[in-house]
Amino acid sequence: MSDDCIRLENLQKRFGAQEVLRGVDLEIPFGKITVVIGRSGTGKSVLLKILMGLMRADGGRIVIGGTDITRLGDRELLKVRNRFGMVFQHAALFDSMTVFENVAFPLREHERLREPALKERVNAALASVGLVEHGHKDVHQLSGGMRKRAAVARALVRKPEFLLYDEPTTGLDPIMTAHVDDLIRNTQNATPGLTSLVISHDMEATLRIADKVAMLHEGRVIFEGTAADVRSTDHPVVRQFVEGRLEGPIQI
Amino acid sequence: MNPISALGAWMLAAVEEFGQYAVFTARALWGIVRPPYRLRNLFRQMEFVGNQSLSIVLITGAFTGMVFAVQTDFAFGRFGARGLIGSTVVLALTRELGPVLTSLMVNGRVGSAMAAEIGTMRVTEQIDALESMAIDPVQYLASPRIGASILMLPILCAAFDLVGAMGVSYVATQVLGVNPGPYYARMEWFVDPDDIWGGMLKSAVFGFIIASVGCYRGFTARGGAEGVGRATTRAVVASGVAILVVDYFITVILAPMSVNRA
Repeated sequence: MSDDCIRLENLQKRFGAQEVLRGVDLEIPFGKITVVIGRSGTGKSVLLKILMGLMRADGGRIVIGGTDITRLGDRELLKVRNRFGMVFQHAALFDSMTVFENVAFPLREHERLREPALKERVNAALASVGLVEHGHKDVHQLSGGMRKRAAVARALVRKPEFLLYDEPTTGLDPIMTAHVDDLIRNTQNATPGLTSLVISHDMEATLRIADKVAMLHEGRVIFEGTAADVRSTDHPVVRQFVEGRLEGPIQI
Repeated sequence: MNPISALGAWMLAAVEEFGQYAVFTARALWGIVRPPYRLRNLFRQMEFVGNQSLSIVLITGAFTGMVFAVQTDFAFGRFGARGLIGSTVVLALTRELGPVLTSLMVNGRVGSAMAAEIGTMRVTEQIDALESMAIDPVQYLASPRIGASILMLPILCAAFDLVGAMGVSYVATQVLGVNPGPYYARMEWFVDPDDIWGGMLKSAVFGFIIASVGCYRGFTARGGAEGVGRATTRAVVASGVAILVVDYFITVILAPMSVNRA
């Protein structure tokens, strides 16, 4: 087993009687885009929250580059959280602040920077998503695509090692979807050493951006492979999901 | 479900809810005293709770004082005790009407705004975003609001007392023709600083109730715009009732301390 990955081992989580994760095993390689697909309500978002340390797993291990983070205390867990950036489904920008202040916010909270240095960092992050000229705007003045870009800038500004996207293309039109796909790919290419994890049920987007695809079904990973593997697999569940058919092993 | 088990289920739910509120409030209060201190957030909330509420509090205070002057005159005039109008009304203002009416007015304005703002942040994942940036959302959002309300409500209450007393005095001496000499002499004789301090202490407690309930309802809001609306209504109603209930108990506790003074 290699250490240049995030490794989930037999990860379990239940809410009351409902078993959401029933032993997830998955390797997320460093420096690549991994997409986890699955139907709504299969525990994809729970997986993200556990990975970020916002929620604790009931069982199993999360090993990041050789360190088991499930054994860490709250204080160390907070440090681990600082290595992650998260892009929320609806961007989740703070609507009481301008775009610039949104991106500056994590820096102001965690790093003691002088104003010129802070400005430089924020503008660099805004530039990487093409929003430098829009920093002074209020969040509600932005289009949907610009909001997503601002959210990526905010997630990137502290130079995280891992960038997580929660359903980045859900509810977007095809052109916006392509735009967000580009954003994810370009961000990955422009940031050396970045590891991206995308949670999605958008198959087309997944096949466009993924270096690795894993499918979560009934609380377990039932498939792992490249985008090409997904296209050619004859795994009945994956096939049904990819083709979006009603008939098959997945029952509604 | 039979009525007994329905009652039991309701009781359990109520106790659980109160327990969650208590844990939330403890976290928020702990957040006030531990670093990081975000003074800018505190000042912004003090401005919102205090300065922006001042006009409604002053108008309410002046007219409350004025109308009570007229009503007290109606009653006291029957047995020739009009000289006592000032002391009676000002005692009622400082001890009861000031803190309670100030808090109820501020609750309508501030408690609802806190629940709506935080509730919207909850349903649009902005609170999750704070958490993902390793920031404690309770400390960031609730602590400055609760701290600001505890600090500002007593000041608003004092402002209410002042304009209320001016309202009574104006109506009593200028409109109703009460002799100013005995009027002010009695007021000075009957009203003590403790009456004012007691009222301000009460309003600090009410400020705590308004902000903690408003923030709690916001944090626990679920389900889009409708959920935020429900959270807002519940915050205002719960705080309003709690203010009146708690008021009685504080009064009962404070009363023995002021009875034997002289």
